[in-house]
Amino acid sequence: PPAAQEGAELAAVIGATVPTGFEQTAAEEVQEKLGSASRISRDRGKIYFEVPARSLPQVHRLRSVDNLFVVVQEFKDYKFKESKEDALKDLEDLVKKLPWTDPLKVWELNNSLKKKKTKRKKHNLQSPASREKLSDGGEEGGADQSATIDREDCAQNPVAVEPTGGQDTENPQGVASRNGVEEEEEDNEQLDANAEVQASCESGTKAGEGQTGGGAAVLRFRVTCNRAGDKHSFTSNEAARDFGGAVQEHFQWKADMTNFDVEVLLNIHNNEVVVGIALTEESLHRRNITHFGPTTLRSTLAYGMLRLCDPQPTDIIVDPMCGTGAIPIEGAAEWPYCYHIAGDNNPQAVKRAANNICSLLRKNESKDSSTALGVPLDVIQWDICNLPLRTGSVDIVVTDMPFGKRIGSKKKNWDLYPACLMEMGRICTPGTGRAVLLTQDKKCFAKALSRVGHIWRRAQTVWVNVGGLHAAVYLLRRTWERAEDRRPCW
Amino acid sequence: KLGRPSELPPEPGPDYEADEDFLRRLHHVLLEVEVLEGALQCPDSGRRFPISRGVPNMLLSEDEA
Repeated sequence: PPAAQEGAELAAVIGATVPTGFEQTAAEEVQEKLGSASRISRDRGKIYFEVPARSLPQVHRLRSVDNLFVVVQEFKDYKFKESKEDALKDLEDLVKKLPWTDPLKVWELNNSLKKKKTKRKKHNLQSPASREKLSDGGEEGGADQSATIDREDCAQNPVAVEPTGGQDTENPQGVASRNGVEEEEEDNEQLDANAEVQASCESGTKAGEGQTGGGAAVLRFRVTCNRAGDKHSFTSNEAARDFGGAVQEHFQWKADMTNFDVEVLLNIHNNEVVVGIALTEESLHRRNITHFGPTTLRSTLAYGMLRLCDPQPTDIIVDPMCGTGAIPIEGAAEWPYCYHIAGDNNPQAVKRAANNICSLLRKNESKDSSTALGVPLDVIQWDICNLPLRTGSVDIVVTDMPFGKRIGSKKKNWDLYPACLMEMGRICTPGTGRAVLLTQDKKCFAKALSRVGHIWRRAQTVWVNVGGLHAAVYLLRRTWERAEDRRPCW
Repeated sequence: KLGRPSELPPEPGPDYEADEDFLRRLHHVLLEVEVLEGALQCPDSGRRFPISRGVPNMLLSEDEA
């Protein structure tokens, strides 16, 4: 291998973006699969860990991670100069002092791992309807690529979106992060999405310099800057521009916003500055879902939720409002010794879930041609209030509860939530059973929960950000109290 | 019930956990056989629930719920 050398082996400090709230879960997965301890950044939604560069393939297989980058250098307490000119000059001067060599080796190694991407990134944004017509890719990552490639493109153009006044932001819409932009897009109408593309084109970030042809050996790069904090004298656009200028000087690379080889990341969170090089082009989180619904859950979030319930081999895991099946599909892929049952009352959802499972089956088939492997997963069309499951027969219930804003209405939730909790309580095994429920309607949920206190106890709450909305994931434990059998029908 | 009566006994035998042959056949039926079109029948009420393209429809009608 090109990176092998006598003495010290090439190591990398990897930064990973994860769904906010699930940093601890991600750290556990890293410990389990890579044997490395993680640091959880104060810049929420990021963890850092060190691994030998040869572990990169395993790093890419992490299921709780959205994006990866290799850290060039971290500054825990960077002292920004007061004036804009001075602060920006400092950043420019920083470039030649940074230890680029090893991280660039890691980046190169990472490139050789990536499959050749033949599709060129296009600038147009697809409408939600046309996304659904995309054919499922057969190869690993292929499906994700075709489904996400245009959506991702918009996310890469705007360097940062900052709240006016630059106040310290907890507001997901204000926080400048690629993930934030991507998630917002999921909910955007066609009109909004187009507006975003236009806005990004207008923002004055370090733009390409009209190069055509030219040296094949010269690398193309862009700088993406995320900035959060209320004491900076400059904007992320300015930082990206000046930092980028210095990078170009130093490496003699060509700047290109859309067709780049190297994406340099400049993450500034108050006094914490991290310079990195991106290792993922598109987010990993769409990996299992090829057929989108209007509210498809990120599979990294689905993974985090499943981990929270600590599935044991032979557990029966049910998602009674599965939508396109994000959670059960992630479950069946990662916990194959459990049995996963997905259900929804909506025929469209059920059809999409079934199609997504077919895609998963086809992926498995191509890898293992000797036997046609079954997947421990089934889809059923059913009514959440009348589940065709025996009382106390299910170990885990995990679902994304309907949000008033996107599906159904807040008023409907008042009635739906208590009925759901009762029925989920019935099917769940007393004492050992648990539920992990995601909802944005926290008030309604709390009220419904108070009514079923004899069946469910709240064990843990994780605050998350879903499509720009503040949501919560509740881990509930089933009490020992038995539910009555209701109907002889089942 | 799947039209292969010879493969599986009507009930698990007394020592089924150790019977590897039985377990293999059970695994096959549970995980590797997919009913695409057909029906599930409730053993008590006899009510049939249609299966279409691999997905059973178990929604109850207004009067049943």
